[in-house]
Amino acid sequence: MLLDLITSEDAAVRDQSLVEACVSLSAADLLQECGGLDQFRRDSDNLYDRVRALFFLYSIYRFQLPEKLTTEQTGSIPFSGHEDLLARRFEEAIDTFLENQKTEGPSDAICSALAAAYHQLAFQTLANQVRKSVRTVRGNQWMFRMGHPQDQPLRVRPQLLETSHHLFPILRERTPVRMDLTHSAWSDIFFLGMDFPEGARVINVSVDLAVHGRDDTPTPPVEAYLRIIDKPVIRLTSIDLKATAEIDSLSEMFDFAKDYLGLLKAAVIASGIVPPGIEGSGQSLADLLEQIAGPGKGFEIVSSVNNIPKGSRLAVSTNLLAALISACMRATGQTQSLTGELTENERRLVLARAVLGEWIGGSGGGWQDSGGVWPGIKLIEGEIAGETDPEHGISRGRLMPKHHVFGDDKISQSARQALEDSLIVVHGGMAQNVGPILEMVTEKYLLRASQEWQGRKEALNLLDKILEALKAGDIKTLGALTTENFRGPLQTIIPWATNHFTETLIKRVEAEFGSDFWGFWMLGGMSGGGMGFIVAPERKAEALGKLKEIMLTTKRELENALPFAMDPVVYDFSLNPHGTYADLLEEKEALLPPIYYQLAIPRLLRATPESLSQADRGELDQFARASKMEAGFGNAVEDLFQTLIPQNQTSDDSGSSLDDLLEEHGFDAEQHRQISKDLQNGRIGLAQNRLAANTTIEDVDAADVTNFTHLEPESALVTLGKESLAKGEVAVITLAAGAGSRWTQGAGVCKALHPFNIFEDKHRTFIETHLAKSRKRGAEAGTTVPHVFTTSYLTHGPTTHFLDHQQNYSYPGPLHLSPGKSVGLRMIPTERDLRFAWEEMPQQTLDEQQEKMRDSVRTALIGWAREAGQAGDYTDNLPLQCLHPVGHFFELPNLLLNGTLAKLLEERPQLKTLMLHNIDTLGADLHPGLLGHHLQSGSGLSFEVITRRLEDRGGGLARVNGRPRLLEGLAMPREEDEFKLSYYNSMTTWIDLDQLLDLFGLSREAILTNDQELIAAAIRKVAAKLPTYVTLKEVKKRWGHGQEDIFPVTQFEKLWSDLSMLPEIRSEFLVVPRLRGQQLKDPAQLDSWLRDGSAEYVDSLCQWS
Amino acid sequence: MKITKAVITAAGPDQTHLPLQTLVTPTGDTKPMLSLLLEETFAAGITSVAIVIAPGTENDYQKAAGEFLEKVTFIEQPAPEGFAQAVWCAREFTGSDRFLLLLGDHIYLNPKGPSCISQLLNAATDTDGPISAVQPTHESQLPYYGTIGGKRIPGSDQLIEVTSAMEKPTPTLAEQELIIPGLRSGRYLCYFGMHVLTPSVMTQIEKDLSTGEKLPLTPALNAVAASERYLACQIEGRRFNLGSSYGLLHANLGMALAGSDRDEVMTSIIELISSTK
Repeated sequence: MLLDLITSEDAAVRDQSLVEACVSLSAADLLQECGGLDQFRRDSDNLYDRVRALFFLYSIYRFQLPEKLTTEQTGSIPFSGHEDLLARRFEEAIDTFLENQKTEGPSDAICSALAAAYHQLAFQTLANQVRKSVRTVRGNQWMFRMGHPQDQPLRVRPQLLETSHHLFPILRERTPVRMDLTHSAWSDIFFLGMDFPEGARVINVSVDLAVHGRDDTPTPPVEAYLRIIDKPVIRLTSIDLKATAEIDSLSEMFDFAKDYLGLLKAAVIASGIVPPGIEGSGQSLADLLEQIAGPGKGFEIVSSVNNIPKGSRLAVSTNLLAALISACMRATGQTQSLTGELTENERRLVLARAVLGEWIGGSGGGWQDSGGVWPGIKLIEGEIAGETDPEHGISRGRLMPKHHVFGDDKISQSARQALEDSLIVVHGGMAQNVGPILEMVTEKYLLRASQEWQGRKEALNLLDKILEALKAGDIKTLGALTTENFRGPLQTIIPWATNHFTETLIKRVEAEFGSDFWGFWMLGGMSGGGMGFIVAPERKAEALGKLKEIMLTTKRELENALPFAMDPVVYDFSLNPHGTYADLLEEKEALLPPIYYQLAIPRLLRATPESLSQADRGELDQFARASKMEAGFGNAVEDLFQTLIPQNQTSDDSGSSLDDLLEEHGFDAEQHRQISKDLQNGRIGLAQNRLAANTTIEDVDAADVTNFTHLEPESALVTLGKESLAKGEVAVITLAAGAGSRWTQGAGVCKALHPFNIFEDKHRTFIETHLAKSRKRGAEAGTTVPHVFTTSYLTHGPTTHFLDHQQNYSYPGPLHLSPGKSVGLRMIPTERDLRFAWEEMPQQTLDEQQEKMRDSVRTALIGWAREAGQAGDYTDNLPLQCLHPVGHFFELPNLLLNGTLAKLLEERPQLKTLMLHNIDTLGADLHPGLLGHHLQSGSGLSFEVITRRLEDRGGGLARVNGRPRLLEGLAMPREEDEFKLSYYNSMTTWIDLDQLLDLFGLSREAILTNDQELIAAAIRKVAAKLPTYVTLKEVKKRWGHGQEDIFPVTQFEKLWSDLSMLPEIRSEFLVVPRLRGQQLKDPAQLDSWLRDGSAEYVDSLCQWS
Repeated sequence: MKITKAVITAAGPDQTHLPLQTLVTPTGDTKPMLSLLLEETFAAGITSVAIVIAPGTENDYQKAAGEFLEKVTFIEQPAPEGFAQAVWCAREFTGSDRFLLLLGDHIYLNPKGPSCISQLLNAATDTDGPISAVQPTHESQLPYYGTIGGKRIPGSDQLIEVTSAMEKPTPTLAEQELIIPGLRSGRYLCYFGMHVLTPSVMTQIEKDLSTGEKLPLTPALNAVAASERYLACQIEGRRFNLGSSYGLLHANLGMALAGSDRDEVMTSIIELISSTK
């Protein structure tokens, strides 16, 4: 039956939603359907039928089937299948998982594994097809065949070889960036254009830019320069990244991560100068260059984007790639004309090469992103694959779209002017990974999810209306339509397209400009970076300044909650009528941008005079002349001096030095030195985290756990729990000391403060959500619940400030922050640990190009670790980024040490139980049944566990040498041991306060009298019984204009769940429902979290005011 | 209609002495290159030849023409104004007839069958329009040749109807415009230095020359392809361009290895190789 949704000729049947079709099916029916779908996807020759079947299977195993499985069977995931998944052997993984399902029966665990395998196979199939299509585009194929320098058919145009005063002329390519006026509802993702070409439509505008207040007038922001040089190398320079390199071998040309010049290298390769087919041939780059440009000759290629920051959503990098490719193609005779505009056929070729370049460089964009190559305003549409196309019979649509440029007769000059007069383009400053959103959209469109499919159709209708408004020059209507698009279809399809920052901005602009604010317009994958605000023309000048002010204020308020890469920027812009355009700079005009000379001249000045070539001397003369005569070179000599004689680094924004911070946060220098020494000597390290190889690790028995997977609303235990709650005997401890590095990918913001989801029409933070649950349980019990958030040096200041600003969300009960009292200093990793992590541990295999990139990055990072000093202090970053928390074990002892527990006891002397949970365990609350059980059992620690799914990695509940305890993933003697375990640790723990104090050898009196020495000694004693783990973490280092590098650093930690190994305190383990115990660790989980009922469940636990 | 006239262009600045170079033929005779070329031309049925030469070189060419001198007319190209202009210099000689066009620095060899010129002239009897000799050529050689695009004529292994012709195309353009079904990938049909042209081509050249540019022949042929039926014939055999590096050596080796002295020459080559390294 479900197969009809894929194979039916009738579009009405084919475009039905899978979710709705599954509603009436039982678990047995669904399993039968899955069998049919799996067979179908194995047999079908049609790519898109196969891919849709794979997405159907993913969806059923991820969403529809688990909720219909009646038994809470624990199930297991075969380790060999997991290994296949990591190695991208998806077919084998699926077979292994299906075999397991056949023998053990369906379970939540195996469903999660199958869902992951089908999901990844679907994306791999799609990506392979795009790659294949890129290679088979005519005009690209020859580059994959060419494997020897003598086969190189390209030759440099003679004009570029004619010197004047020993200087070769410079070819300059200037390219606008592109704005998507309609927002394409992400329909320009290659897969989607190929699946449903009729739905892939965008209005794309080429624009020149200037940063408002910094630059004079808008110019094409993207520039590529090319000239011949008298040296058989390819010299690449990125002005914006201030990076330059001379490439003298083919292997270096294909090493994309060695330097910051990957994009330039991709352009050289995609343009055919160094064709992809020659990679790994062992041939010489000089021979290749000789064939193209003559003996001893090479190329110099320089790029500049005039400091347009990353994340502008204006496709700056794709258009830069296109500009570089265009310049290289012009230089090698692959275009009719060396200068001027390109012909339509040539633009399409540049687009095909840019797609190829993005694939080679391991990045990816939409097919509209090279829009800057074309002039003015154009409609870009998907095309149905014809019989002569390589895509025919494989996908409905072609890889490459068609472009229709609107002339003045369709969109008049006055309409264009009206758009310029009302639109303000900004960069909000947020840096976010848009990748997960693009995956979500692909999945939803291919599943024909009903609401989203409807949203897509609405977005298509809006495109026509927007085009009409544009043609009529009616910008007010256009503004209303782009807002409608953002509020309606875009957020229906992807609720995460908006965020609290954007919503706040819109509200404040509305408040400031009232009816003169005509509309909001989201650029690119998600809001927060590049955005447009449309205002009445008479207020535009005022709005330019005001917007900057509003964005800056809002950013300051939210910068600890949301990931910002830079301060917001407002642009001036104008429409570009040429598309990409080249001119030849000769003789005195043969100048590169002034900043180029800051990079190039020092190299020449350092050389001995006799080693300078005539061209070098010519270059020096040219610079000397330009610095006296050329307007743009006014400060060139001064800037050059500053480059030659570096200035002292001033202190960072926070004003605090690293030493101050270490002192302030309880850094133990002696312990640090010992750890560093142990790391260097190999006494500790990643390999040493593991338990001895002869340790027996087994899954627990049914008798080792108490099952609470069905929480009863009423029972004797519930009554017992309610009584305790009513007496005020319980408090909640939320662990919020970590920054949530997976959540923000190391951006250094507080996860707890992140407004991650809309509940009751408002973006709510993690903190607000946890308080709303305590508010509800308190109200039900007729009392209030004390709630403590633990913090650290990373989160204490921002959390205090944030809660003050929010007036504690009007929380009725006692609310405390418990600041951390210990901190570590991060260390540069040892090569041994890096190799262990990357070579010994199972790794996710990436696709071919990404794998090359990753290998190259890793080699560079190992080199960095060696040079920077292994196990040395990591200090080359903002001071706060150099510190690390020392593990969540310490967060509860900190309560004892910093007086927070004393405060709780003063307020509630009757306090008996603490419920400790992680910030990302959103379903954890004071459930009276669980509390009742904990009280009745008399356990010191009751740990909540959940049945394991594939994504639940990092340890679990195990019998270790016959004794049940929680075992961290780091300590597993063998990787596969974890896959024997049925239960995953949710971290939520019910704590009997008195038994805990007993463990520490402390009493309530000692806490109340706050005897610091006594408490500190007690904590050290317990800590000494727990293992110390060495871990690698990724930290971001920001620089330039929104650029970021990620470095692995070493830190150490002690972990809370290891308390379960201590015989001195009685531990027990409660199996709770998944919705209660699951953790939200990654923003990519958000969408399925919303779809699988988790969000609804959390909402049901909350009372928001 | 039988073709009786041929034009050989030999006026290029680098070509002055090439036709005078001597080669050893497959039968072991030593002859000037021009003489060899003329021998093949007349053997194929041509009755009169015009050679377009640079001013002041006629005496040398007369010597090189040897026994064929009586049937040869010499036409001077006053200045080196490009290949198309050299052909156009012979317009009075060709008049209203179709004619064979050859390059003075090329010789052709097909030891196992009819000569290359005969193959082209035979193919030309089936059409009234222009026809060019072509050969599959690897894409790395594209910077040296004019290249055609078109479709094969059903029922013929050799003939192609030309739809476009480009001078030294980039591989990118060749892949988009010039792919001919049936060829191995990365191979294109490039000119073989041998054409049968019509008066209409002369008219087109005259039109092109009015721009004042130095032009190759290919743009005129491309224009002709758009207005009349223009064929290409895939030729069996090899050409030797004596103007390229080691061209003379290659030609001599090609001739020797195709003839009765093959073993002797091969032995000498092997001895030479072993003694030099």
